[in-house]
Amino acid sequence: MPGNNTVRILDGNTFVVSEDTGDIEATPNEPTGLFSLDTRYLSKWVLTVNGERLNALSYDDLQYYEARFFLVPGMATHYVDAKLSIIRERAVGGSFRETLTILNHDEKAVDLQIRMDAGSDFADLFQVKDEILNKKGEHYAEAESDRLRLGYRRGNFRRETIVSADQPARYDQRGFAWSIRLEPNEQWDAVIDVQTFAIGPGGRDLRMGLRAHGTERLALQHDLEEWISRAPKVNSEHDRVAATYRRSLVDLAALRFSPLSLGGQTLPAAGLPWFMTMFGRDSILTCLQVLPFAPEMSKTTLRILAALQGTRFDDFRDEDPGRILHEMRYGETAAFEEQPHSPYYGSVDATPLFVVLLDEYERWSGDGALVKELERECRAALKWIDDYADLLGNGYIWYERRNTDTGLENQCWKDSWDSISYADGTLPPFPRATCEVQGYAYDAKVRAARMAREFWGDPAYADQLERGAAELKRRFNNDWWVADRGFYALALDPDGRQCEVLSSNIGHLLWSGIVDDERAPTIAEHLVGSRLWSGWGVRTLAEGEVRYNPIGYHNGTIWPFDNSFVAWGLRRYGFAEEAATVANGILDAATYFDGRLPEAFGGYRRELTKFPVEYPTACSPQAWSTGAPLLLLRSMLGLEPHEQHLAVDPRLPVGMGRIEVLDIPGRWGRVDAFARGRIDLEELAD
Amino acid sequence: MVDTTTRFFEDLDRRGFEPLLAKTSGTLRFDLHEGPHTTHWVLEIDHGSLRVRQADGEADTVVGTEPRLFAELVGGEENAIAALLRGDMTVMGDLRLVLQVERVFPGPPDSRGPHHTFSGRGA
Repeated sequence: MPGNNTVRILDGNTFVVSEDTGDIEATPNEPTGLFSLDTRYLSKWVLTVNGERLNALSYDDLQYYEARFFLVPGMATHYVDAKLSIIRERAVGGSFRETLTILNHDEKAVDLQIRMDAGSDFADLFQVKDEILNKKGEHYAEAESDRLRLGYRRGNFRRETIVSADQPARYDQRGFAWSIRLEPNEQWDAVIDVQTFAIGPGGRDLRMGLRAHGTERLALQHDLEEWISRAPKVNSEHDRVAATYRRSLVDLAALRFSPLSLGGQTLPAAGLPWFMTMFGRDSILTCLQVLPFAPEMSKTTLRILAALQGTRFDDFRDEDPGRILHEMRYGETAAFEEQPHSPYYGSVDATPLFVVLLDEYERWSGDGALVKELERECRAALKWIDDYADLLGNGYIWYERRNTDTGLENQCWKDSWDSISYADGTLPPFPRATCEVQGYAYDAKVRAARMAREFWGDPAYADQLERGAAELKRRFNNDWWVADRGFYALALDPDGRQCEVLSSNIGHLLWSGIVDDERAPTIAEHLVGSRLWSGWGVRTLAEGEVRYNPIGYHNGTIWPFDNSFVAWGLRRYGFAEEAATVANGILDAATYFDGRLPEAFGGYRRELTKFPVEYPTACSPQAWSTGAPLLLLRSMLGLEPHEQHLAVDPRLPVGMGRIEVLDIPGRWGRVDAFARGRIDLEELAD
Repeated sequence: MVDTTTRFFEDLDRRGFEPLLAKTSGTLRFDLHEGPHTTHWVLEIDHGSLRVRQADGEADTVVGTEPRLFAELVGGEENAIAALLRGDMTVMGDLRLVLQVERVFPGPPDSRGPHHTFSGRGA
């Protein structure tokens, strides 16, 4: 993965990852490049002056779509006495544009050879971390008088990079160059344009006319300003909450993504840079997190996921009728079916969560028209839950991939290979059923019953759904409860044997409402008890479990997104102090990351490390980490839509001071919420 | 003997209404190129109501493929989105129409669907 000194800018799923000099020299360890449509269009982009590499004095990532690098000739030495300054300013917005500025500070004129080495391996995003040896197609490079054309062709699959500049340059197959003479204090500028093409046989680009917003820099800036001005304002006595909120809002703007099929509407992509694509689960959970702040995202997400809902059995894609997609990709491996992402359907939670989001969105927005519009898709999703996902015919959602080569083994959010285990650490056979997904299914039925009664005019269906939900809750509380340890099992194996491990998943069960009331206090106790609670957050897996590892991806790290749903769940069952504890820990952690929460951080005890140890991860910002502070705010302020008004029932910790959220949009128009910290968390800990 | 493509379109025409396309309206033209010869099919969708004509004409979306690939698409052997990404199928105009109509194509003939084991065991 790129080191910490890489610079990333993006627009939609076009993005640039480079070194701090602006150079790109891709290797499996440093997967830098210019990427678009899940394809690397530049793997080499190295600037030299008189044959010398440049040294970075500083860089600014001005906005998510632009960056500026200040450079001097020569490699780093402890003393830089430069007579030349080189500034690279770049922006992505459809194409990639770089402006070179060279300043001569010497009292003499200088002759300069300025060269950019340019090349591309056209690697699929799935290949960038591998040594790319056996591409099945052919590469080509054509130098023309006014441009360099880099290309890759495999059958009708063609991807092309075209580089041109406003200052006449000499192009060759490996780059382009200028010879210039600069008088004392003279400045030279050149604008380089890099365009990416996905060309069909007719010579027409796949993406023509399908852009999210204006691709020019000014249009992007205007779009960002408008996005921020539309969102509620958050003011806080202590700056950290407001600062984290602002950071989240800007990152959320960067993560908006317009799929090819949506005609310019946007939904949240999963994470930058490697997951700038549609993910069913991530997009839905992010929408749920940000509903009080950016409700329009839910509408477009629901519409696009509905439009791509499964309609048939396709074992390669793990597609079933009614199933909501997991992941869509546009690169070579998807095109040639070396990967199943066209799209891939292998997740079991996206489908019930789709129904949950639709209901929650209506409760906030009052947009009953969308509930009516998506009735058919909701019914198909509910039918999937009962018919196709219930592999054992016992009323639960199970998973077992049919694509055994490239499909996902674990189709829940903890999707790494070793995330689901028995108490002795061994892995159960398939099919498996994880607890939180049963909670989502319960919630989906309860919510769909409301929609059936209020919008679909089908009270009989509503009754049937409610009976189904009640039966599911009764049986779940019987089959999954680990009586001697006082929690719900993480999963069941096909023989009904429990995976008796204590995990954060029980917090999602609170959120879904499937937990019996008399058991809720025990669950809340576990969540803020010493085995799950680190001081910063709730661990994915409790300390003391065989597979527990404070830096185990799903076996001990702390995921901010996970915690935000845990807090919501605690609040739902009336555990406001515990919810505030979780919110406080995660928001404290956020300050160590300048308000940008990582995907996950270590499960070490807070008093041991004093600061949250970031899990070395590929993606930052990540959509559902970005959404986490927003859902935590909602939980602490107790924001809950009730009929035509917004209920506010704040329970903040003392240290949080005063918080106000202004102009919360919804069916009530816009309202404000105010809160003051009153909960003494120290007391609670005793 | 009627080929797969003809059977597919005749079936759509006979069906008259497709619930999966109830929110879709527009006209698609399928141009099946084989050397100098092109066969045209026009599919008109009006909120799920379908009308098929074997003719040339204006359309919101024009899809181009070889006849053999198209037969495999409507037979489920090939996948339309992968074919589009590969450049084996081209689309001019409104891409959304294709992505909606593609959902009416069948899955692969050898796909079996979920492996249900109604063993009566389990929880």
